[in-house]
Amino acid sequence: MTSARKITDNIYWVGAVDWHRQTFDELIPLSEGTSYNAYLVQGSERTALIDAVDPPFVPVLLDRLDQLGVKQLDYIVSNHSEQDHSGGIPMVLDRFPGAQVLCTPKAKGILRDLLPIAEPRIQTVEDGERVPLGGRSLMFFHMPWVHWPETMVTYLEEDQILFSCDLFGSHLATSALFSSQAATILPAMKRYYAEIMMPFRIPISKYLDRLGPIALKLIAPSHGPIHDKPEQVLDIYRSWTAAEPGNSVVVAYVSMHGSVQQMAERLIEALLARNVSVDPFNLAALDLGNFATALIDARTLVFASPTVLGGAHPNAVYGAYLTNALRPRARYGALLGSYSWGTKITAQLQDLLSALKLEMLGTVLAKGAPRPAEFAAIDQLADAIAARHNQ
Amino acid sequence: MTNSRTPSRRGTISKALPDNISEAYMQKYICNVCGYIYDPEKGDPVSGIPAGTPFEQLPPDWVCPLCGVDRDSFDPITD
Repeated sequence: MTSARKITDNIYWVGAVDWHRQTFDELIPLSEGTSYNAYLVQGSERTALIDAVDPPFVPVLLDRLDQLGVKQLDYIVSNHSEQDHSGGIPMVLDRFPGAQVLCTPKAKGILRDLLPIAEPRIQTVEDGERVPLGGRSLMFFHMPWVHWPETMVTYLEEDQILFSCDLFGSHLATSALFSSQAATILPAMKRYYAEIMMPFRIPISKYLDRLGPIALKLIAPSHGPIHDKPEQVLDIYRSWTAAEPGNSVVVAYVSMHGSVQQMAERLIEALLARNVSVDPFNLAALDLGNFATALIDARTLVFASPTVLGGAHPNAVYGAYLTNALRPRARYGALLGSYSWGTKITAQLQDLLSALKLEMLGTVLAKGAPRPAEFAAIDQLADAIAARHNQ
Repeated sequence: MTNSRTPSRRGTISKALPDNISEAYMQKYICNVCGYIYDPEKGDPVSGIPAGTPFEQLPPDWVCPLCGVDRDSFDPITD
């Protein structure tokens, strides 16, 4: 038996916890599993389901609705068209033939591209539109690019609950319904922001302004526990999305025979000696989540690579490409590298990082093993970096 | 400062476009996601868009060269 969990009168969590899922998108490691949160909102006249779940978990969702005795569903709100929330919608529609999908106009096209949903079963909602359920009503705020172009959030004004879908989420499988009872919520939220939301820092900061004056008792995201201290969540998101970057240096390196490792270690030690905080990463064994999380706080990014077949090591290419795509706030960059008979790693790595518009503070290349001249150049680079930190 | 011989920005535009194309056509647009600015005077060389192409005449599949979002995510710069 799978029971719904009551949030307040006639509002229930009816989602699924995926305790043991290990990766998302075949890309993001899930160190603590995840959940797909769906919510049931019952008015005196109509009933709405807020989002669905990943397709394998639809039987769990339907079972929870059965346990609640739900015989009729009027609306399925699709805040976000990605399949871990929308993928179950066709099966829920089959089960409840009277139900209509509510989504943004942009989402309508994406849902129909991705899923077998008949056109008449989708009803689009405008920004700010209200849909009454009887005694309570759903209000929709279009918030594109958190993290797809079609996203919106749903606000239950009478209960002051924001159903934010992926925004403010966390990949965290926990028995805690509310985040104040989940000990690891903060690192899980930060990691999730870094992996999913960081590229959309600019629109999110505007949405935080829009949400600021809205009365909130709960923020109910689509992954991880429900936030029962919403102001803390908005505050931490304000700090992550502010224009001013943090004050650390990410040093991401890969080394084949030790030359680059010696250079990276020299830089790390030189920065520590100058009281600059450093987050080192070995790109040969990278945890994407830890790396992305460190990028939130980075002011300077240093990539270090040997030369392989004339170019950067493929792991350094991956790290630079990933960083460019995640678009952290960092302002400064530097490169370290080694080669023996020719290299194009400087231009290659700079090109891979081009979207970040970093001010490059220096490049130190060693022909063969690093020698005192290279170490001195690294110390100078540390001076240049330190001058832009510790302010 | 009244030297009218100095080439103005307006003069540069009129070289790239027929005379009847209005100033409004050279409106700059900003990407709401990453802040990239599409400047019709420069075009978007990365995507093969020649200088002098108004935003309205970008191909439908054109996306932000920095972050990859679609044209709907751009707004005109008002200031």
